[in-house]
Amino acid sequence: MDALVKVLVAVSVIFTMTAAPASAADTVNVYTAWPESLSQPIFKAYTAKTGVAINFIRLSTGELVARATAEKNNPRADVIWGAPGDGFAAAKEAGIIEPYKSPTWGQIPAELKDRDGYYTAVSKNTLVFMSNAKLLKEKNLKPPTSWNDLLDPAYKGQIQTADARTSGTALTRMLSIYYAFGKDEEKAFDYQKKLHKNVQVYTKSGGGCTVPAGLGQTTVCIAHMPDAMEAKKKGYDMVVTFPKEGVAAVIEGIALVKGAKNRDAATKFIDWTFSKDMQDLLDKNDVYMLPTLPGASIDASVQALMKEAKLLPVDLEWVGKNRKRLVERWVSETIKE
Amino acid sequence: MNRSLRDPVLLPAVLLVWAAVLLFVLYPLARLLFLTFWNGGPSLDAVAGLVRDWTNRAALVNSLVLAALVGVAGTALGFMFALLTVRANLPSWLRRAIDAVVLLPLISPPFTAAIALIFALGPRGLISYHVFGLTKVNIYGLSGTLLSETLTYFPVAYLTLKAVVANIDPNLEDSAFSLGARRWRVFRTVTLPLATPGVANAFLLVSAASLADFATPLILAGTKFPVLPTQAFLQITGLYDMRGGAALCFLLLVPALAIFIGQRRWIERRGGSFVTVTGKVGAATRVKSLSPPAIVVLGVVCGLVVLLVLICYLLILAASLVRGLGADNTLSFAHYAHVFSGGLKAVRDTLIIATLCMPLGGLFAVVLGFLVARTQFPGRRALEFAAMMNYALPGTIVGIAYLLAFNDPPLALTGTAFILVVCYVFRYSLAGTRATTAVLAQVDPSIEEASASLGARRDVTFRRIVLPLVRPALLAGMTVLFIRAMTAISATIFLVSLNWSLVTVRILEGITNLELGQASAFSMLVIALVYLAVVIASLAMRRLNAGSLGQAGALLGG
Repeated sequence: MDALVKVLVAVSVIFTMTAAPASAADTVNVYTAWPESLSQPIFKAYTAKTGVAINFIRLSTGELVARATAEKNNPRADVIWGAPGDGFAAAKEAGIIEPYKSPTWGQIPAELKDRDGYYTAVSKNTLVFMSNAKLLKEKNLKPPTSWNDLLDPAYKGQIQTADARTSGTALTRMLSIYYAFGKDEEKAFDYQKKLHKNVQVYTKSGGGCTVPAGLGQTTVCIAHMPDAMEAKKKGYDMVVTFPKEGVAAVIEGIALVKGAKNRDAATKFIDWTFSKDMQDLLDKNDVYMLPTLPGASIDASVQALMKEAKLLPVDLEWVGKNRKRLVERWVSETIKE
Repeated sequence: MNRSLRDPVLLPAVLLVWAAVLLFVLYPLARLLFLTFWNGGPSLDAVAGLVRDWTNRAALVNSLVLAALVGVAGTALGFMFALLTVRANLPSWLRRAIDAVVLLPLISPPFTAAIALIFALGPRGLISYHVFGLTKVNIYGLSGTLLSETLTYFPVAYLTLKAVVANIDPNLEDSAFSLGARRWRVFRTVTLPLATPGVANAFLLVSAASLADFATPLILAGTKFPVLPTQAFLQITGLYDMRGGAALCFLLLVPALAIFIGQRRWIERRGGSFVTVTGKVGAATRVKSLSPPAIVVLGVVCGLVVLLVLICYLLILAASLVRGLGADNTLSFAHYAHVFSGGLKAVRDTLIIATLCMPLGGLFAVVLGFLVARTQFPGRRALEFAAMMNYALPGTIVGIAYLLAFNDPPLALTGTAFILVVCYVFRYSLAGTRATTAVLAQVDPSIEEASASLGARRDVTFRRIVLPLVRPALLAGMTVLFIRAMTAISATIFLVSLNWSLVTVRILEGITNLELGQASAFSMLVIALVYLAVVIASLAMRRLNAGSLGQAGALLGG
């Protein structure tokens, strides 16, 4: 048994030596919900410009909030970047972020930021229908251009979309339906119950239906715009359409973590995200989201697509207050069959 | 075997193991319990809303049904494979090939197995659509989840049962034959009862794995078949309700406890009747207990399983080697190029952590197994139960509990590799512990008593007698730990840090972010590394083991 003790002691010594805290004057630690492919080029651009290193971990929004909440007394992250508005609403409620207003904060439209400056939208995201072109042809269907098109029995078991309990995409879908049906919650839920009959499976990640739609495992995938554009770029034969009743425009935000260890570096980084410099990167890097700073460049293909889309503005405060109730109602009514 | 705590070696060992379990299992759970059920006083308000939710009620029932089904199916399948490989006199290359294939689902990240199954059997799947032309298959729900979990976890049963079946002395069966019993009767009255502790073990391990698995249901169960770990995960990450999620997880402890106690009772009632390794074993004889028709049946069933697994993983291999599966099927090594550039740090970190886990966890498992099986001390049962708690709980909750417990000074372990290592050691040592108790249940204590009566100290007896006897269990335990450290995700997603990343996290990222090719390439790398480790481990063990307990040394197929 002595040997065991020795081994344990030796190992713990090694660990204490290798455990280095990640804080330095020229470092910003970021938790992000954006995929690496979207966030890393932007972080790299910042490092190239300023020499400040960006350490980041990618987590789903819920994991991100849960983690930052557990770390509240000894925060490991300085900035939360690229998470949907409802995630920030939860983060604000949990007391893990603090207000911060960049110099250009005033230029960002009011519906794209928290009134007190707890979080601000870096970009605007929206919902699309993406359909497998081959399967549409096989079934002799036109690409869906209305929410009601999806109720056609021909789509039975042919629609995938995200579970309402996974944040982001599914919430955008619920909000889109709510606003498209004139903010009539009863009508919206009535519609979702009907839609449920055609749904094959609710995926647990927002873009989880993209590859299945690309591979023909399902015909229609309702997801965010970047998912659809990425899929097209990868070579999947997809048709991207919008419902004529409209889709909700949701935000992808940024916030300063309360008690951030590298506060100065963090606020400088946040300032940069609202400069034209960074906002133009959304277009240059094919992020397929709309910039929030007026005057930043927008990709021609996105612009062309956006002409077809009817974007419905979202009341952030209402969403923050009602999200949980909407999701719970979805669980207890919509999927109970 | 009554030894008092005055034993100079036993006491420190017990204290050390208890201290470790207290710090790394009970303390984090206590923190979480406090968070969940304490709101200015004892409070059940976190649970109140959950019970009204139909999905949570259904989830409890579904979880139990699923765990039982997966346990039965996985154990049965594992036993069939164990019989086939150990008892059917197959050529050794074929045994090795079978081992290599059935290990695949176990050694690949859970998401990969579920995704591979959709590719093979889902809508427009290779087998379901392209071979059989089925257009209306439904893989989402109970059937798909059951199939995927059985394929993922039956190798655990197979590994455990293989050691057990190999340890059964054929001389005992020969005695039955010479008394005139027929094959089936010998199997039923000699072979099967001797394998019972192993079968019970296997069932416990597989059911517990199914109870705690959240990754497979996350992809395959859909909304029609909610299970508890997934509900808890959604409660935490989707509804931002950590207290409710934790409460749901604690609900899972109840069935885990029931399985555990039932299994203990059952083994102990049958007492010492499993002793087959004594000091007096004669030369092993050729095994005769399987008839040719039985071998054919086993061969067909196992063959089909092997074929299904192979197809699934060839699909993943294909996805890693083309630009975009189904979109642009031209050959490309771009995904591997990414793995060996941007992904290299994650690979290195994972390997360091997995390598550190093996000796620590293996030793912990064997010492714990020995203490439980061979010694008497107050709180022995409690220790055994406490040590398996992290395994029974869903990873999400263990991860959160660790984060709560080890984020603040003086125990600020988050951000280090240490927290990942202890998480794995205390979460995945159960296989080694169980294997140790199962092997020890077959070993006559009089061997150790002989050593003691010759004047050897307790630690000498442990090192010279017990360790060599439980080597197969140690090897199994360490291998399972390495595999888990390479593939687990649910707990560690909360524990990876800016300094220490893991391959599985990159795979999950790839799967959720359309980077199927990258995820597949990472998966293939993980599989290759794990295979390499398994081969090295078994070669090393064969060398160490030369001459002692040759049969059991074949645990991992040479």
